[in-house]
Amino acid sequence: MSNTKTKTRQSAVGQLASAASSEVIIDLIEVNKWYGEFHVLKNINLVVHEGERIVICGPSGSGKSTLIRCINNLEEHQDGSIVVDGITLDKNLKNIDHIRTEVGMVFQSFNLFPHLTILENLTLGPIWVRKLTKIEAEKRAMEYLERVKIPEQADKFPAQLSGGQQQRVAIARSLCMNPKIMLFDEPTSALDPEMIKEVLDVMIELANTGMTMIVVTHEMGFAKTIADRVIFMDEGVIVEENEPNAFFGNPQHARTKLFLSQIL
Amino acid sequence: MEYVRTKDTPTRKPPLNESSLLGWLKINLFDTLFSSVLTILVLIAIFFAVKSLWIWGISDGVWIAETRRECFKINIDGACWAGVIAWLDNIFYGRYPREELWRINLGGLLLILWMLPLWLPRVRGKIFVGLSVVALYPFLAGYLFSGGEKGIFMQVMITAAIVGLAVNVANAVTGYFNRGSLSSFILRKIGKSDAPEKQQRNILLAILLIAFVAVFVWQMGWVVENVTWTKWGGLFLTFVIAGIGIASALPGGIILALGRRSKLPVVSVLSTAFIELFRSVPLITVLFMATTMFPLFVPEGFVLNKLVQVIIAVCLFNACYIAEIVRAGLQAIPKGQYEGAHTIGLGYWGAMGLIIMPQALKHMIPNIVGSFIGLLKDTTLVSIIGLFDILNILRAISKDTPWIGLHKEPLVFGAILFFIICFAMSKYSRHLEAKLATGHKN
Repeated sequence: MSNTKTKTRQSAVGQLASAASSEVIIDLIEVNKWYGEFHVLKNINLVVHEGERIVICGPSGSGKSTLIRCINNLEEHQDGSIVVDGITLDKNLKNIDHIRTEVGMVFQSFNLFPHLTILENLTLGPIWVRKLTKIEAEKRAMEYLERVKIPEQADKFPAQLSGGQQQRVAIARSLCMNPKIMLFDEPTSALDPEMIKEVLDVMIELANTGMTMIVVTHEMGFAKTIADRVIFMDEGVIVEENEPNAFFGNPQHARTKLFLSQIL
Repeated sequence: MEYVRTKDTPTRKPPLNESSLLGWLKINLFDTLFSSVLTILVLIAIFFAVKSLWIWGISDGVWIAETRRECFKINIDGACWAGVIAWLDNIFYGRYPREELWRINLGGLLLILWMLPLWLPRVRGKIFVGLSVVALYPFLAGYLFSGGEKGIFMQVMITAAIVGLAVNVANAVTGYFNRGSLSSFILRKIGKSDAPEKQQRNILLAILLIAFVAVFVWQMGWVVENVTWTKWGGLFLTFVIAGIGIASALPGGIILALGRRSKLPVVSVLSTAFIELFRSVPLITVLFMATTMFPLFVPEGFVLNKLVQVIIAVCLFNACYIAEIVRAGLQAIPKGQYEGAHTIGLGYWGAMGLIIMPQALKHMIPNIVGSFIGLLKDTTLVSIIGLFDILNILRAISKDTPWIGLHKEPLVFGAILFFIICFAMSKYSRHLEAKLATGHKN
């Protein structure tokens, strides 16, 4: 297994040498996490470069959501180090708040604020955290609503929107903070089939702008289209990591082969 | 087997249902023979109850008389409302000097004026209205009601309150008439709306300072006569205690609730102990403790009057109840809301103040208002420790020589008064709920 890992790491690096910018933006070194006695993340090593698009897949309970939630400290890791945008995540609340402004996140359950209109959902962060004026924030919010193709919903409340629309609003809300990194935690898992596409389209468009993205998803078609690297996790470890063609065409590890045969 | 629809099915009116009066009656009151009989029996019972009340209170009631004896002469079976009418001033104002009543009326009027912008559409800065009324109005009203010499601190606070009130009212006027907020209106009028932000802020601050100085000089010129708290009474005293209780119980309760949920063990344990202590003791005990024990805890020579002690007790007691309501509200907010707030960079206080607390309070409006109604009614307990609140005044009527023995009518009047106030609060809470409803959570 360690053999596979070294190989994929080399291939990823080799591929990135050709990319315009190759600065390391997320660096996880020997990260471990436990829920009580349960060892969820075991010795995770992961390097993400600026502009890279990474898809993480794996069976449920494999620790993929926990992994990306550690990156913006929604979950605390207990061992190892996580460096995001040059800042090491530790107990320092200021660092955590700073990293969270640079890292956007989209959840399976949207987590929009039900007591605020769509526009207010989008302008809250820019006004209170980025200290924009209300006019600037609203202008920016409308730009992103245009980009996710629902500017006409600006004055509605989240409960009045369909699931797909809510998720697009959630993406726009994160983008309004002008983050350097976007994390997606199963963004389409709670959606009806006909709504998945509208969300994926927005994500593909976002990928094309060069955003650094880490996406936990079961949408393998999406992974093939946009991922620079696909990571397969099981039981808290990274089992296999490769660029998508090789990952889907020629999986190495027996566990990966089994997983792919079950979902494709 | 093939089927293709060729004709549309027309929409039809529904069968007899709740949307018509007749349908509603049929379904809800006369559904079966048994429910029809029950309905008729209940209607008959209501009819007789209302009829006897009507005869006692209205058709046989005596409205004009000098004494209770005179009432009897006119109609011995009817209610003697004349006694209540003769005591109306006492019921509303207690033993407050009659020539100074305008101060209470003015205080009430200013409060209404201050709060009015909360209900007006298009007015901005409603949070400022709410905060300023809680933080500043008590000083202005406190001086109006008690009077006497003003210390320098009181003078500053009174000035701040008057300026705050003026700003609120002016802001409400410009907002209501579509002229934007007061600050933007002023800047437009003096042609500075395009000036840099810093200059605008300085101009507004200068205007505020000038207003402050002017009001300060003006208020030095007037003094109102001292009226000691022992003369306060009636509905006025009830409103003072309940008003301060309501205004401070909510912020106090929020702080205690956050304290109880805090991750810091000392804060959490202290808040929990405080809440549990006050919640497990009856209010009347807390009131007795406040008046007998409280003086033991304060330095010698520092005398707090009984009214202040009672108010502090009521505030603490109710803050603990509100704390538990707020805590329940906080627990109902899903974890995803905290996470959503954190991912847009909000810290603890930002997430609490902007995302979590507004939702929690909104869900808890019925409980919070219920608690406030309880608070208002509980204030009648202060009559037991000798304050002349409305209940004590109502009972005093029966000891007044011309109206000796008049028990029923004053208490019925008190009940009606409390019902009107509490029902209005309850209605307002329903209105708030409807206004703030933005659909259920995802």
